[in-house]
Amino acid sequence: MLEATLFLLLLGLTMAIILAIASRVFYVWEDPRIIEVMDALPGANCGGCGYAGCAAAAEAIVSGKAEASICVAGGFETAQMVAAVMGVSVEAKEPQIAWTSCTYGVGDADPIYTYNGARDCRAAALLYGGSKLCPIGCIGLGTCAKVCPFDAIRMGADNLPIVDPQKCVACGTCVRECPKDIITLTSSTHRIVHEYSTDECTAPCQRTCPTGINIPGYIRAIRNGDYAEAVRVIKEKCPLPLICGRICPAPCELECRRILADEPVAINPLKRFVSEYEMGTGQHIQPYKAASSGKRTAVIGGGSEGLTAAYYLARLGHDPTIFEAMPELGGILRYVITADRLPREVLDHEIAGILDMGVEARTAQVLGRDFSISGLLEEGFEAVALTIGGFDSRKILRPGADEQPLAGVRLMFDLLDAQARERPLEGGRHLVIIDGGLKGLELARAARAEGTETVTLVTHRPADDLPSELRDYRRELAAEGITVKWRTRVRGLRGVREKLTRIDYEEVDAIAGLEPERESAPLDTLVLAAGRLPELVIAHEPIEEAPQAEAQPQSQAPATAGEGPAETDEPPAWDGRWRTIETFRTLPGGGEMGIFTPPEPGRVSDSEAVIKSILSGRRIVRGIQQFFAGEAIASPPHPVVEADTVLDVDAVHHVATSHRERAPLPHPTAGTENDWTAEEEVPGLDEEAARRESQRCLACGLICYRKDVQEEKALF
Amino acid sequence: MEILILVITALLIKNILLLQYLGNCPFLGVSKRMDTAVGMGLAVVFVMTLATAITWLVQKYALDPLGIGYLQTLAFILVIASLVQFVEMFLRKAMPALYQALGIFLPLITTNCAVFGVAVLAIRNEYNFVESVIFAIASSAGFALALVLMAGIRERLEAADVPAPLRGTAIGLITAGLMALAFLGFLGVDNSLKALTQS
Repeated sequence: MLEATLFLLLLGLTMAIILAIASRVFYVWEDPRIIEVMDALPGANCGGCGYAGCAAAAEAIVSGKAEASICVAGGFETAQMVAAVMGVSVEAKEPQIAWTSCTYGVGDADPIYTYNGARDCRAAALLYGGSKLCPIGCIGLGTCAKVCPFDAIRMGADNLPIVDPQKCVACGTCVRECPKDIITLTSSTHRIVHEYSTDECTAPCQRTCPTGINIPGYIRAIRNGDYAEAVRVIKEKCPLPLICGRICPAPCELECRRILADEPVAINPLKRFVSEYEMGTGQHIQPYKAASSGKRTAVIGGGSEGLTAAYYLARLGHDPTIFEAMPELGGILRYVITADRLPREVLDHEIAGILDMGVEARTAQVLGRDFSISGLLEEGFEAVALTIGGFDSRKILRPGADEQPLAGVRLMFDLLDAQARERPLEGGRHLVIIDGGLKGLELARAARAEGTETVTLVTHRPADDLPSELRDYRRELAAEGITVKWRTRVRGLRGVREKLTRIDYEEVDAIAGLEPERESAPLDTLVLAAGRLPELVIAHEPIEEAPQAEAQPQSQAPATAGEGPAETDEPPAWDGRWRTIETFRTLPGGGEMGIFTPPEPGRVSDSEAVIKSILSGRRIVRGIQQFFAGEAIASPPHPVVEADTVLDVDAVHHVATSHRERAPLPHPTAGTENDWTAEEEVPGLDEEAARRESQRCLACGLICYRKDVQEEKALF
Repeated sequence: MEILILVITALLIKNILLLQYLGNCPFLGVSKRMDTAVGMGLAVVFVMTLATAITWLVQKYALDPLGIGYLQTLAFILVIASLVQFVEMFLRKAMPALYQALGIFLPLITTNCAVFGVAVLAIRNEYNFVESVIFAIASSAGFALALVLMAGIRERLEAADVPAPLRGTAIGLITAGLMALAFLGFLGVDNSLKALTQS
């Protein structure tokens, strides 16, 4: 017994001594920061960073394979702690949260079968994609709530997930596990400039509205008597509800699902009702505004598009300033639309509301006369958006003046005018004409004859899709030294102060999966076959991205002679180089076409209605926001605007018919003729009528809608 | 000749993985990629040889003289566990790449029944020291062989159209079973060899 005990003791001791010596002999120095970083990380092992747990992430951070801010669960505080260990600095990232879009629970949505299987969405989705008829509907079995490592999701009474924004850290576990992809990670600034995709639930009216106002949402608020909330819902997507309430052509009402039963809901009169309620309070009800980003932006043009752009820039915290040529803001709204359709006090209240968001305005400032774009960039504005051109104010203000919003960018109209008057075209050394057609060809030849070194015609169309006249010229053109770029879009322009220097091309319709061919060429004059000036966004060109060639000779342009590049140790001053940034321009059914999208090159909007210029204003800001955030400037995947068809219903059932509420026409005053005059305004709905009308809304989803009688659950 | 028979028996006829079913955990766990399988095989060769040699010495010069053979299991586990610790430290210092590749499987060898089993078998078969070491090398080489064969098959299985319910470990186990059947074909080779030497 004693022997055995002693033996084991001795054996153990020997082994311990050997191991102790070995641990010294074979000691491996391990970076102590790994342990420190590990301690700073939350230890949830959620995998949101893409590494297998916090230990792996810590090693990746210390070895430099991952950023200090990689941890999504810990947020900015963790990133700061990790950065302190690593001795680097991190910028605050905007927090994201999980966001769900389905609004009709399993009990209210149309089913295709009754599911009695395993209580897990992933299992249910294996059977025809879940029990709902709707392909993007929430299955409602709460897999997201079960997998959430932070207990941030619970299932509501109607079996739809409710995300607790306080607890959600955007680790993405629910997004990965949800079989229907209805949960997305989004930040509040993303939501501000959000564009709908076919992967989320939208009502027909909402999809039709160019700006995508959550129409069922604000009508629900009116039904509940919460008018302030209704205004907030509208202002999320449309900063001009008072104006739209009066002059919007209301395409939404043409798509109202209620048409299938009786008459469309009075969507726009309801908007007018709540916006007048806001005006009646004398105050401005404002939606969510992000904290200041410390960036300043300039918006040139104070019309509906410029006001919208400034409003969204203010909401994103980018401190906007509007430069308006006319003495007062409003553009077409003030100077074209008559006061009986749009009373001026309404316009003034609306504009005051936008300025109240934190927008500065400088009026009677004409671009080219009082300020220049490079001057604004010099002044410290980090992005300049041109939202000009509902009407061409430069022609109104200074007839005959040929100021250009952007030096070197000219309208084909002006060149044709010069040609007709037999004046020189002044095409510069390198001329590019975009989508000019036959007239562009004539100009190209004239410019070539005048001595322009290179003349390039750019079109997004393929060579074999051209009018026969142009096709016939193809061989001659090459002989004449005129280059034609087929199937090409313009990705951007670059310049130095008041001069254009380069144009960047990209091949259209590149084979899927292949990098489209790109090239860059010098230019100093760009001609657009558009009736109005282009809507471009211009920002400083980052120093490291600037091409070395070409920049040097151009920076000695006359305007900047004497100013050499900064040679001090301070952060380098702006060297005068700028470039355009892309904005979100998508054609229905078509791809992105660069910054000079056909049919009207350089236009984001067609400005045919105020609601459309609001959309353009927001899209321009979306481009700016993505540029500031360092994200790829791209449209969302599967945008609704590009979708050929969106799932819809072609009949409604169990809906009691009712009449649309109408505002009473003004009573003719006794003694006058039996009609009303133009000075008299058409009144809106009164509160009682508005509340009655709000009851008529079917609160549609993609295919769900509010039924008066619940159908028997269909089983087929 | 007897040594040859010993080697062939340990390597093929009584393959530790496929016919004695020892050490199935690393057999399925580390056989997904060829490079880790090779690394694991080498680690096992190293550990098993060393472990068998040391446990043989412990048995002959400590347990047997003291008459405490009943402590065999306890003493062997203690020795093997310490040895694996030692190997782990050594690898980390000398071959960090191999250490990275084997990761969690090195500690797995600590309590690996194959290592322990070979040590005990060497005693039970009453081999002398040299025979024990050769037996250990051959057994572990058999282990490595089976593991590498398995990894080769599984790398091809990645590209194969395996029915969904069988993917992963299930098809791995089926493969292991088929391989075991194939190795059964070596049965009797030792007797033929013996007959050959006697005649």
